[in-house]
Amino acid sequence: MNSSLRLRSGQLPVVVFGTLGLHALVALLAPYLPLLPTDAQNSAALLQPPSAAYWLGTDSLGRDVFSRVLHGGRPSLVIAFAATGISAVSGIFIGALAALAGGWIDEALSRVVDFMLALPTLILLLLISSFFGQDPVILSLALGFMYAAPIARVARSTTQALLARDFVRVARLQGGSRLSILTGEILPNVWRVVFTEVTMQFTWILLAFSSLSFLGLGASPPTPEWGLMIAESRSYMTLNPLLVIAPILMLATLVLAIQGLVDRE
Amino acid sequence: MKDLARRVIFSLTTFVALAAVSFLGVDALPGDGCTALLGRFGSPAKVEACRAENQLNNPVLVRLRDWSYDLARGDLGYSIKRDEQVLKIILPRLRNTAIMGAVAALLAFPSAIAVGLMLGRYPRSRIGRAINQLSVIAMTLPEFVIATMLWLLLSIWIPLFPGVNVVPSNATVLQLLPNVWLPALTLAAVIFAHAMRTMRASVAIIQTMPFVESARLRGTKERVTIARHILPAALPPVVNVIAVDGAWLLTGTFVTEAVFNYQGLGRLAIDAISDRDTALILPIVLFGLAVYLAASLSADMCVRLLDPRLRTAGQ
Amino acid sequence: MSVNADNVPDPTPVLEFSDVSVEVRNERSRSRAILDSISLRIEHGETVGIVGGSGSGKSTLLRLAAGVFSADLVLVHGRVSTVGTDLLGATLAEREKIYGSVVALVAQSIGEALTPHLTVLSHFRDTVGREVQNEQLLQSLAEVGLVGEKYLKRFPHQLSGGERQRVLLALALARSPQLLLLDEPTSALDAGIGTAVLATIKRVQQIRGFALVCVSHDLGVVSQIAKRTAVMNAGRIVETGATAQVLQAPAHAYTKVLVSSIPKLDQRVRESSSRKSEAVIVCRNLTVVRGGATRAIESLDFEVKKGEVVGIIGESGSGKSSLLAAICGLVPVTSGTLHSGDGYDLSTALHLRPRRILSSIQMVFQNPDDSLNPARTVAQSLSRYTHATNDQMCAGLRSVGLDEQFLSRRPREMSGGEKQRAAIARALLSNPQILLLDEVTSALDVTVQAAVMKTLAEVQQTMEFALVIVSHDIALIASFVDRILVLRNGRLIEQGLVANVIGSPADSYTRSLIEISAQRVLV
Repeated sequence: MNSSLRLRSGQLPVVVFGTLGLHALVALLAPYLPLLPTDAQNSAALLQPPSAAYWLGTDSLGRDVFSRVLHGGRPSLVIAFAATGISAVSGIFIGALAALAGGWIDEALSRVVDFMLALPTLILLLLISSFFGQDPVILSLALGFMYAAPIARVARSTTQALLARDFVRVARLQGGSRLSILTGEILPNVWRVVFTEVTMQFTWILLAFSSLSFLGLGASPPTPEWGLMIAESRSYMTLNPLLVIAPILMLATLVLAIQGLVDRE
Repeated sequence: MKDLARRVIFSLTTFVALAAVSFLGVDALPGDGCTALLGRFGSPAKVEACRAENQLNNPVLVRLRDWSYDLARGDLGYSIKRDEQVLKIILPRLRNTAIMGAVAALLAFPSAIAVGLMLGRYPRSRIGRAINQLSVIAMTLPEFVIATMLWLLLSIWIPLFPGVNVVPSNATVLQLLPNVWLPALTLAAVIFAHAMRTMRASVAIIQTMPFVESARLRGTKERVTIARHILPAALPPVVNVIAVDGAWLLTGTFVTEAVFNYQGLGRLAIDAISDRDTALILPIVLFGLAVYLAASLSADMCVRLLDPRLRTAGQ
Repeated sequence: MSVNADNVPDPTPVLEFSDVSVEVRNERSRSRAILDSISLRIEHGETVGIVGGSGSGKSTLLRLAAGVFSADLVLVHGRVSTVGTDLLGATLAEREKIYGSVVALVAQSIGEALTPHLTVLSHFRDTVGREVQNEQLLQSLAEVGLVGEKYLKRFPHQLSGGERQRVLLALALARSPQLLLLDEPTSALDAGIGTAVLATIKRVQQIRGFALVCVSHDLGVVSQIAKRTAVMNAGRIVETGATAQVLQAPAHAYTKVLVSSIPKLDQRVRESSSRKSEAVIVCRNLTVVRGGATRAIESLDFEVKKGEVVGIIGESGSGKSSLLAAICGLVPVTSGTLHSGDGYDLSTALHLRPRRILSSIQMVFQNPDDSLNPARTVAQSLSRYTHATNDQMCAGLRSVGLDEQFLSRRPREMSGGEKQRAAIARALLSNPQILLLDEVTSALDVTVQAAVMKTLAEVQQTMEFALVIVSHDIALIASFVDRILVLRNGRLIEQGLVANVIGSPADSYTRSLIEISAQRVLV
């Protein structure tokens, strides 16, 4: 039968959780670690290769790459968590409500969700960030509401499937209120599927913000952010390849670890 | 048929509604075509003169009505900043993006279906696992990372393709061709994984259905089983993926075009947004919308064709 | 009987299992024995049935005979020889030669055994190739009882269950195999249709002379087409012999339990009682419409008295499930009246009913896997809406034959019978006046079914609620209830005391149901 293509099934969770843990630690603790300041320019030491003073070398303005790389995940992670939180809560609420209520409420909500799914999200993001400045609050809200639609759709279909199951019918027969059935029967069986969707959204939003920063419309200089760093240092690749490789590695390992978390389900 | 008609009508109304919303939304953004043209150096008097000349002072609803009429007649408007008809600006860019998208689609989709089919049918092969891991990586890495890595690999370290595009947007197709490959490869890498994994998962599910084994145990040859029994049954989810990703190839490629400076629609969109050229932004947004809605509808129709149960419902 | 070149009957068996033991081994759990020292020898032209409950290993045995071996199975020792070839050790090319032309497997037609996007004609073409003429295909179809060109152009979803099974049969026989393997050929079909299909299989086998192995959980199915029967339990063959003998004079203890568990029309498992009491459900001229235009129930008059046990018999589409659903409020009433005994209007929507009405009518459903919330323990499922105390739950479990330790178990750790018992206990905790059972034992092994029915009889006698049982199995109903209703296409055909309806049925439909049931265990 269909095997799930794990590499080494015993070791994989360790790698995945280890990576995620490390990233979490680094992102949380970076400001408190004894690192060189991320915006300290040193015109005497531009584009240096790795040395004792600068572990990964310096960039085009003489800033310490190592320190910038460790701080580089924070902006996108903050926005990703905020936006995912907004989209998950609103998405699950709308989806489950639509399925439970049925009738015209379901129709209306589904139309709204379809409408939102049709929106060209990336263009909208570009527009919003370009015109309204790169305010993280606005961006989080915008991302959150745009990405609520896919979650709402998944929540609705899973809830609908559940409503047809016998144990839910029994709950109704025994007098369970809609709220009680929602929390008791539906949510415990729905969260797994929705969790997968939410995690994928988290990754999407993380990458969307990094891409925005890459295009110059997300995090603004001198904030250290991986996408921004890659854009800034592209031209200097040949002089110090770590300028581009280090942020790529950080981004790649984080995203792959999250994917590994989801794939195991 | 009735259901299909409903879908078409819904798509059209969505389009019209979103078009109106987009117009109003873009209009609400700070600045307009005149401030884009004159920038910081425009004195208020000059800006007012420009606005009067271009009828930008009319009430919003009047402008919406005029714009809708123009749109219906195929006139996409006029970009003040670029001093050019919008249609003339967009068409060559569209052509370039379409070429790049077509190449990417041809590279990615057929191979994704074939590989997905094989991996789904024979999950235990070593090559299969390797391809799967690689595609997971390709799927999760952001587009700009893949673009940058491919640029490094195939333009800097192994100088195979030109790294950055210097050909103008209205160059001939032949002149464009060398510059198409790197962006197309990037896009192909991004979409290959999605389509392949969807196919693989779909085949894995179909395989467990009784009719596959039933066919084999009656004496149906393996090749025939895969081609006639498994493939059509496994295609519907992949059709949806191809539609959505195909739409994306026309509307969502700004990052790749930015990396390679490819003069396509995406690059134009970024420039237009940076320049605050609202007359240009709006048609591009609407184009994205129309493509997505059309792709959705086509996917629906294809799925209907594949599954006789949906065709003959009611018999 | 197959003959070799010299026209002498072929002495090699068409299928032979020599001391075969098989285990399942996967990374997570320990290895578990599926088959234990199986030895079985089947000659050309023989018809053999293999009977056993779920988990007996019968399906695995059949699939081994077909050379189908899933990845987590390990052949510990023994050899399986199908038409002289060890299929398990054969290469793909060798197996491809044998499939279809020498051996064919007809799987259960639950779900889709026919490819949904291909016509019947395409199915044939893929099996027999392009050279065979359409006329020959039409002949194959006629042989299995499907007469007419229209069948070739149909898609599977345009065929009924019985028609699909016949097409599968024709396809399997298209290349004249020497051995036909049948896996639960009628479990998804109504009794009457199933019997007809079995009759067709028997007729074709007698004409064509191939060997036949039929696996089923239902001794009645096997008895209609197999001369010899093997009984399996927990991976072993516990008894083999002529079918008639196994049915009438079983030797092994398990077989005895199996045969005695089969419901028989003339054997009561519960004393009937006929008390004069007041009605607890009254419905007059009830009509229920589902999904647009389908009239699930049409102008039904029906009553249930306090403490009575009523059985509703009907085939699929008879409206029996809809009737129960309407009574407990899951489905709206379209027209007619439906009252409880004290006058409460039962057409009120579920969320408007007061608590006392809700708890007075409870229902248990068919699918044991769906009855309990998989994310919860039994204790949580039992108490969440009934607010039962621990003591009450223990008493409830005991009354259905479950031990206290089940309180902390989750559904995935429980068998089908245990889950249904828990579901019944949950329903009883509401202290209902009326308990509705919708095919609650249809998915269980016949031995488990007998045990659950026995428990039900005991509990009903103690708690004295009215019991309405719905089933497609008329023998099950006749052996248990006080009063019977026969439904067909949403209409009430006949009702009355068991003795009257079964002894002298008024309607021909009832008569045919009784005849079909009687045929099944007749040898």
